Amino acid sequence: MAELQVLLQHRNVPGIDGIDVYESHGGYAGLRAALGKERQAVIDEVKASGLRGRGGAGFPTWIKWNGLPKSGPAQHYLLCNADEGEPGTFKDRELLLKLPHMVVEGMAIAAYATRSANGFVYVRGEFVESATQLRRAIDQAHRRGYLGRNILGHSDFCFDLHIHTGAGSYECGEETALMSSLMGERGQPRLKPPHGPLPVVSGVWGSPTLINNVETYACVPHILTHGGAWYAAMGTQRSPGTKIFSVSGHVARPGNYEIELGTPLTELIDLAGGVVGGALKAVIPGGSSVPILPAEKCAGVTLDYEGCQAAGTMLGSGGFMVFNDKTDIVALMRRTAQFYAHESCGKCTPCREGTRWMSRVLDRITAGAGRMEDIDLLLSICDQIDGRSYCPLGDAASWPIRAGIRNFRHEFEHWVRHGSSPIPGFVPPVRSHGPSPVPGRQE
Amino acid sequence: MVASSAGRFSEAGLAQLTEIVSHYPDAGGAILPALWLAQREYGGWLPAEAVAEVAARLGRPASEVQGVASFYTMYNMQQRGRHHIEVCTCLTCGCLGAYEVIDRLEQLLGIHLGQTTPDGEFSLTEAECLNYCEAATVVQVGERYFGGVNAGNVADLIDRLRGSDDCTPVSLSNAIVEAIVPGRAGATHG
Repeated sequence: MAELQVLLQHRNVPGIDGIDVYESHGGYAGLRAALGKERQAVIDEVKASGLRGRGGAGFPTWIKWNGLPKSGPAQHYLLCNADEGEPGTFKDRELLLKLPHMVVEGMAIAAYATRSANGFVYVRGEFVESATQLRRAIDQAHRRGYLGRNILGHSDFCFDLHIHTGAGSYECGEETALMSSLMGERGQPRLKPPHGPLPVVSGVWGSPTLINNVETYACVPHILTHGGAWYAAMGTQRSPGTKIFSVSGHVARPGNYEIELGTPLTELIDLAGGVVGGALKAVIPGGSSVPILPAEKCAGVTLDYEGCQAAGTMLGSGGFMVFNDKTDIVALMRRTAQFYAHESCGKCTPCREGTRWMSRVLDRITAGAGRMEDIDLLLSICDQIDGRSYCPLGDAASWPIRAGIRNFRHEFEHWVRHGSSPIPGFVPPVRSHGPSPVPGRQE
Repeated sequence: MVASSAGRFSEAGLAQLTEIVSHYPDAGGAILPALWLAQREYGGWLPAEAVAEVAARLGRPASEVQGVASFYTMYNMQQRGRHHIEVCTCLTCGCLGAYEVIDRLEQLLGIHLGQTTPDGEFSLTEAECLNYCEAATVVQVGERYFGGVNAGNVADLIDRLRGSDDCTPVSLSNAIVEAIVPGRAGATHG
């Protein structure tokens, strides 16, 4: 099995980040094809492709697009979520760095289909170089008539695109928190249905708002150029197309790999050169938020939304982390809990308090002072956060810890019994300072 | 509209702010980008006067702007070292030597995490995932990323920074990364 590169096919072509080379490799053909169709026909093409959101949730893209008002005043906002922060994921960073025009083109097509005149790309604050590349691409596209007023002579299509730079907050990758942050507020989530409106009904500044991930937009030009049916022929029936996986950890060749959805999990490890430093112990296939899979459960798992779910985990963002048998799972979970305790925005109690308690209990266990009841205490905290927090950050904090205990309980018990790691020679890091005492605030 | 105010914004900074405000339907939207500008204009951090100037120029209460600024970790509410070193210790980096890098840095600089060297040259913190896991361990210094850092080569990074007058943002290039870490850095396959 090899890679199937649609988005990444030309990523190493010199100058592909500039508009001339991008155009000579088929760039902006998708936008031209879209403008030759009625707006609804563009949405129908995306529907036919079966494209699902690549940010993590896998929601059908066309349903979001179809949800914006199709008549009346069009004060719609089109947002691109480039606040890539899910540990283990680095696909959006590379897409913006090397193929910024593909994202711009995808957004322009979406803007046409949804009558959106204003767009923002919310770029993670740390991604300075990616933002610089994107800014250059936007300027070039503007000068060539792909952005701005009366795009490609279309009298009824204007679209301005700007960059909004984040400032260090994982929570802002959650779409309603991203909207808060775009409007200049603290990055905290807003109510969603059934308690609040969908963003496509009332999003930023009270206007209908469409938010998609970088990779989702990057798929769109290809779908419009080659047709929805062409795209749907790749992958599986329910998970069509290709997906970029960011492979890292104990593999020989870490990097971004684009494969057909439905590819066996073990083949992706082989593509990345196989496991190094020991035998395979576990994989986290979709970013830190998804349940960890022990090696013995990896055989036969396919990398598509359904295949991952059947195996008890999730495809998520495609942040595929590989761990060898020298890895201390309890220490890994301690670090995972530290991440969520640090990144909880502090808005709701179950997440704010629960993530800190999990982090402290795991600190205690890896300090050699754990108690046997701490293991069930952790599971109980997971149950009290999961489904009870304002936004999915709380769920995402509980899933990995719960799966870590379910799959590697013997390692937690070893830590409690012996006060040391089951991995010979493993010494847990002693931190000079722990996570921020008040989640969501600076130290 | 950007209001006049006492403060330290340069003419170029003000022109940029005016341009940025025009992208948003109200001045509130410009708070984050205005804080970024202010951080640059005030030498890398946000003293109370910087927050007050942003608030005045955007016509918002200072308490609101302070509340926003203090939420985000990249706005420095206190002065950092001239080179602010952040070591990613998250899942992949943490399994590939990040903690050894921190130990070595603490030794080399004579400070602990969260501290600044007495000469103000270096400050050191632990970072959450910097999303460059393919090049673990990843270290961010100001706006630059360095990949493939380990306990053996991190002294080279410090030497390089020590000799560098340039602490202003330099965008990452593969050349910078590879100079620090031959072989591993920017380890994009294919």
